[in-house]
Amino acid sequence: MAEPRPRVKLPKSVAAGIPFTVKTRITHPMHTGQRHDSEGALVPRQIINRFVVSFNGEVVVSVDLEPAVSADPYIQFQMAVPESGHLDFQWIDDDGSVYSLSKRIEVD
Amino acid sequence: MAPTRRDVLLMGASASAAALIPVGAVEASNGVWQAIDAFTGGAFRLEGGVILDAPEIFDNGGAVPIRVVAEGARRIALFNDGNPNPGVAVFTFGRLVPPEATIRIRLAGSQTVYAVAEMADGTFRQTSQAIAVTVGGCG
Repeated sequence: MAEPRPRVKLPKSVAAGIPFTVKTRITHPMHTGQRHDSEGALVPRQIINRFVVSFNGEVVVSVDLEPAVSADPYIQFQMAVPESGHLDFQWIDDDGSVYSLSKRIEVD
Repeated sequence: MAPTRRDVLLMGASASAAALIPVGAVEASNGVWQAIDAFTGGAFRLEGGVILDAPEIFDNGGAVPIRVVAEGARRIALFNDGNPNPGVAVFTFGRLVPPEATIRIRLAGSQTVYAVAEMADGTFRQTSQAIAVTVGGCG
């Protein structure tokens, strides 16, 4: 499996307390554990099972994912922040790997 | 048109009597009712108060866009009744993030997707939508 690549899209600047859109995606096959490879062998389940977003260290949204989530999981949500700060995104793999991305968000 | 807050409240009020009968008398083969009961702890789910925004028909079952909104919810769970496993995702909303999210999901074939919201007062709300897919996404 290629190394999963996380991506996050944020507005360049935001206003305090005004909701903005956060778009997130990570490249990952999300093997369901139901499919077979070309040799007929069952491909074991391997998915991103949890996604956590923190703002200045406080968890603001988390998602538990099942195999029914599409490959390259795409999650979009709204957020409003009171001040500038750091957004940390973490994707947790069935194999224990954690893929992370940090972004600075600036309040005008 | 998206339902207004008033529409949602009215739907909730008129549905509340009917909702005392467990939702969905027909047994799905993948255990979706047991999965929803596991999420709610067996609590009744009132219909309404959750908006599930999904296409009625979609060509690619491998990535069906689903948007859920439930004003006043602290958690929203998505379920399906036609995949091998009924769970899809559970969103837990904290401060700063309103209870709304969009995700892309796999549907093995045409089936019904359920959104169940746990409200801040500990009650549960539910809605569902049938989605027809032309190419299944789990094969």
